[in-house]
Amino acid sequence: MQKPSDERLVAYLDGELAESERAEIALWLERDEALRERAAQLTESAALLRSALDEVLREPVPERLIAAARGETTGTVVDLAAVRATRTARRFGDRRWWIGMAAAASIFGIMVGSGIGYFVANEPTAPDQAAAAGWLDNAAVYHNLYVNAGADDDHLGFDVAAGQKLPQNFRVPNLKPWGLDFQGVRYLIIEGRPATQLFYTTDNKALGPLTVVVAKTSKPDVAPTMERHGDVNLLYWRHHGTAYALVGTANYGYLWNIHNDIAYQLDAI
Amino acid sequence: MSVPVSDQLIAVLPRLRRFARGLTGSAADADDLVQAACERALTRAHQFQEGTRFDSWMFRIVQTIWIDQLRSRDTRREEVEEQGMHVGTDEPARRIEARLALQEVRTALRELPPEQRTALLLVTVDGLSYKEAAEVAEVPVGTIMSRLARARIALQAKLAAGGGLRRSASDAKAE
Repeated sequence: MQKPSDERLVAYLDGELAESERAEIALWLERDEALRERAAQLTESAALLRSALDEVLREPVPERLIAAARGETTGTVVDLAAVRATRTARRFGDRRWWIGMAAAASIFGIMVGSGIGYFVANEPTAPDQAAAAGWLDNAAVYHNLYVNAGADDDHLGFDVAAGQKLPQNFRVPNLKPWGLDFQGVRYLIIEGRPATQLFYTTDNKALGPLTVVVAKTSKPDVAPTMERHGDVNLLYWRHHGTAYALVGTANYGYLWNIHNDIAYQLDAI
Repeated sequence: MSVPVSDQLIAVLPRLRRFARGLTGSAADADDLVQAACERALTRAHQFQEGTRFDSWMFRIVQTIWIDQLRSRDTRREEVEEQGMHVGTDEPARRIEARLALQEVRTALRELPPEQRTALLLVTVDGLSYKEAAEVAEVPVGTIMSRLARARIALQAKLAAGGGLRRSASDAKAE
């Protein structure tokens, strides 16, 4: 009886051998300590491999894939370089439009967001829901504004850039562990109340730039809620008179984990 | 009445993403690959044979597109991404160890030849039988058997050399 080959040992571990062969290899394993050790290491490395990839199963599936499965997308995304080049070109091509939106948003404040929120909803919504949609649309607009026009644009300068002195008691969440670099702050008026938008960028293309909006609110607490607004994802929640929103193209898994981090840092749980 | 292809696709998306992530080594590329596979599946839904395994059919589409991509473009950049796996400085040492072990596994997987990677992902990760994996890869069962053995031995050797196997599997589960 020959010592089992690697192929047969692996097939044994995978339960792919006939009963007679299984018995033969089991006998070898009983007698040969080195073979037993090899089998144990093969089993352990397979378990590690499964662990390394199983986290993907726990991630939320991106909406674009669900849309693709439903046949709601057109074209095939294969050449990533071409797609990114197009996105870059579009970014600069749309700049004028976004500057216009910035000016409108500055002048009309929440009216811009509320209008979008109201008309996007096809069915009548409760006042609270409509208001929520309004300020979230506004947050999404401002996020896109910076991503598309760029923070260096003269019209869109930060009120306080990273490195400059921030008001006392102003806490900027540290998102460095996520690879997110704080760029600056812009003060807004949302729903007639002061709000702050914090802008972060990253080289992590799976995460993308992120804005965090913190606003005063008179509305009751609300649990973290995920929403899709246009081409960005939002996660918002309200806690003790403050409303928070994370806006970006990151998937919900990222947003959820970053929300946990921010909620902990800002004592907003 | 048969289940619509779209519904079957949505149900199998998490597994397709895992398979694609293992093939490409990148979250963004994997999702692009799955998206392309969904689009192809919908345009060729008439080719799916009722009574056969839908997941195997989708794995084959994902694998075919990936191989086409490998042939048509340089995929060396696939190693740029291990996103979402940043090690926070204030993480407990045990979790960092676990992350390092899993990172090492992903790196070892990327270093395997494409055909071995495919066999490993189909059988060891997704639990397909050798026969099912052979059908997906469109090769004889014996070929899958030898590719898988080479892949398992190579993976085990890489992890042993890098210390990954010294980090316990229970630590890895702390992830």
